[in-house]
Amino acid sequence: MRRQRTILIALSTLLAASLTTLATPASAQEAAAEPNQVTNLTVRQADGYATLAWQPVDGATDYQIERTPVDANGTPTGAATIVGIWRPNRQINQESPTFADAGFNPGDRFQWRVRARFDTTEQPYSTPVTGTTTAPWGNPNVAGEQLRTQWETSHAAQYTSDTEEYAYTAAIDELSDRVRVVEIGRTVKDRPINMFVIGYPTPPATPEAVAATSPAAINCNVHGNEPGDREACLIMARQLAFSTDPRVIDLLSHTTVLIVPTINGDGRAANTRGNSTGQDLNRDYSLIRQPETAAYVNMVRQYRPIAGYDGHEYGNSRAGDLPMLPPRHQNVAQPIFDESMDMIEGHMYTKGAEDGWWPCPYGCDGGGSVGLGEETILRNTLGLKNVVNSLLELRSSGGQTRPDEGNTANNRRRKTFSALWTFQQFLDYHRANLPAIKQGRAEAIAFQASNTGRLVFRGSRPIPAHPAPHPGSSPPPIDAPPADLILDNAPCAYRLTEEQYHGARTDGPTGAVTTAAERIADHGWKVIKVGDSYYVPLNQPERGLIPLLLDGQGVENLVDGERIYPTLTGPRTGPLTVTGFACLDDATITGPVTVRSGAALVTTGTTITGPVNASGAAGVMLADTKVTGPVRVSGTTDAISLIDLTVTGPVDLSANRTDNQPLLVGNTVNGPLACAGNTTAPTNLTIDNTVTGPRAGQCATL
Amino acid sequence: MSYPRTRHPRRAGALLAAALLLTVTACTGDPHQPDTTPVAAQISGPLCAALPAGDEPGNPTYLAGQPVATALQWMPTLTTFEAALRTSGLLPDLEHDGITLLAPSDDAFATKFSDDTWDALMTKDQDKLRTLVKAHLIAGTHTLDELADDGTATTLDGATLTVTRTGDTTRFGDKADAVCGDYQATRARIHIINTVLGPLPTDAGGRDHRG
Repeated sequence: MRRQRTILIALSTLLAASLTTLATPASAQEAAAEPNQVTNLTVRQADGYATLAWQPVDGATDYQIERTPVDANGTPTGAATIVGIWRPNRQINQESPTFADAGFNPGDRFQWRVRARFDTTEQPYSTPVTGTTTAPWGNPNVAGEQLRTQWETSHAAQYTSDTEEYAYTAAIDELSDRVRVVEIGRTVKDRPINMFVIGYPTPPATPEAVAATSPAAINCNVHGNEPGDREACLIMARQLAFSTDPRVIDLLSHTTVLIVPTINGDGRAANTRGNSTGQDLNRDYSLIRQPETAAYVNMVRQYRPIAGYDGHEYGNSRAGDLPMLPPRHQNVAQPIFDESMDMIEGHMYTKGAEDGWWPCPYGCDGGGSVGLGEETILRNTLGLKNVVNSLLELRSSGGQTRPDEGNTANNRRRKTFSALWTFQQFLDYHRANLPAIKQGRAEAIAFQASNTGRLVFRGSRPIPAHPAPHPGSSPPPIDAPPADLILDNAPCAYRLTEEQYHGARTDGPTGAVTTAAERIADHGWKVIKVGDSYYVPLNQPERGLIPLLLDGQGVENLVDGERIYPTLTGPRTGPLTVTGFACLDDATITGPVTVRSGAALVTTGTTITGPVNASGAAGVMLADTKVTGPVRVSGTTDAISLIDLTVTGPVDLSANRTDNQPLLVGNTVNGPLACAGNTTAPTNLTIDNTVTGPRAGQCATL
Repeated sequence: MSYPRTRHPRRAGALLAAALLLTVTACTGDPHQPDTTPVAAQISGPLCAALPAGDEPGNPTYLAGQPVATALQWMPTLTTFEAALRTSGLLPDLEHDGITLLAPSDDAFATKFSDDTWDALMTKDQDKLRTLVKAHLIAGTHTLDELADDGTATTLDGATLTVTRTGDTTRFGDKADAVCGDYQATRARIHIINTVLGPLPTDAGGRDHRG
């Protein structure tokens, strides 16, 4: 069950307030030597940033943060510079102002002071605090830890090149037992797209085994000219690979971390937004016309991350440090949206206020028409694939709150270390909330497979303003779906012709255009061939995405599939024999159901009293259905999917011949469950079935 | 090519640095090592303070001994121009005869082209990209002082630019100011400018609010 957002925030604010009180008991409060002077300034060092915290001054409009380079004796070695402006819209609590200062060369030593301003009138500076900042992570004398990226060794003058990335990646792979680097695909220009698979003590051996650990995935760099997040990913991969910190060991003992540093290697090399064909890849994750996006979607199907982040940079100089946005498309299941919002507003806003970073809703301040519901954007595609996730932006420029970023290296370092903070927080969130994320995902998949509720071809859920104080001023636009993009009466399935399914296409890179069949397979949707037609039923986990690609009304669709409505609803008594394609919705069947060879049975919201027998069927896909009596499915050729069924009686899957995994997800079986001799072993998508009887054969652990 | 004009102090400084270049480059193969000579290559302009200096990686003295392609990769505000020059394929034919680059900063490109327009130039309109890049190249190696003294310069796209000097600022084509000039690389001079040259229309606007 989702926590109430306002309660969560109230609790965390209370906690933060009491912690502050504990840290600085009244007797230790520093007295202000002058009126309106900032007191109790502290500095805390972390990777690439320093968190300044202080006691607020009554009536202050904002605060200025000053930094001065100093030597070991505290003697200044350079000019004092205003590096930060703290404004009240930075954080969700005002009692404990914090500011993450970043941009400096990690390892250098500084003195900081903070002063309040009343309007523009400067008040006295605090007593200074001094500290040595944290050097780039990893002991230079320990193998593996000593690795550095090109970005680090060049002091951010250069980004890590493709060849340097491959060398660094290979070295981590070689030196760490925790890491396996896999190539998930190639770019248009044949650059490898690598993924770090990181677990402790070693990562699980196969994608299915990784999937069983409910992994967290980070897509670091889709736009080639937005490279800040990628450098953070490369540094984090080294930390995860070699750190002996108990936190890291604990994280990696409970899940697997998937990091794709560069999905758009061609665009990165040319410093372009799109790939080498000019395609913006973050407008292609549903259509997967390009090999880069197809590789990512294929990875998601195989490794099944349950949570994700997607790294970008953002040109709005008035935005916060870290604009974030959940999957908003209205076809995304509510629990996925809610959990994603909780990750952003419950976790990131709270932690940002502690560490001094400024996450905010995408748009943040005068953001314009961005952050909408296009399913082509990874944030939305992943949501429609039941992955809790967020977009991450790094504000491109220093803006008004970080006035010392005219120097490019300072600017790059702030961006990369703010991304590193976010990704580490993302892993902490995943670790702390794994049961809630898994439950939300299970509820979402059950909802989608039930094929209930309207379909929206384009349009977003509202992102209401966070309760005051807001981190940032404006949430993204409402982006409600227009009436002509709403379908209240969802079909049961889409029917595609041979030409639509297997026909040659022109939308993609020359010489490498894939068919609709290949793209549907990459998404992992079940397809049933009956006669000359290919049926894609909606009672499957990605029900929200299927119509966007297969319906003629889809704004950026793949084909104009034919809507197929239920063939049987309401009560029916007597034996039912299925030949051809049968779709039962909201039906009550009393009597035995037999699916003939080559036929297909699809059900939702249905009650069947009587046995269900399918022998040699093309497809059997049942969801949100009650069966009293045995369910026996054998010799199926194309697709099997049993989701959220309640069966009173035995369930038996044997000798099925599908080339894709039969789904047995979240069912309740009051009886035995047996699976034997199926060409492809069934999967539960890491959502347990409740079985009162024995489980046998290929279903023994489902 | 010769430049029979009177010298003023700025130019003398640049020439002094150039004269010492041979000594300097012989010792600075590793960018992470401090220079073994106190003399640094002389760059000038308001943006220079934001670029690697002293003994930082990518400092001007180190770059003076590098091929122009390498030097550009060390200049953090030239990522767009560097990629454009590389993608255009023009450099190999030019660099052994000496070349001067009027290199627009990343900010200059961002205020000139939308992402979509830029991606189309980089991926689909190769001829247009080459013409655009040529509008920023001048045959031979020329200091800012020399260019200003000449008063005009012919770029490789065939256009003639006026070059004016107001105070310390050198301006090209009545619109592009040198913001950090007189970087040296092997047989090359690099002047960072704040506006994109050439006749292509400006269509930036969408770039600001998209991640």
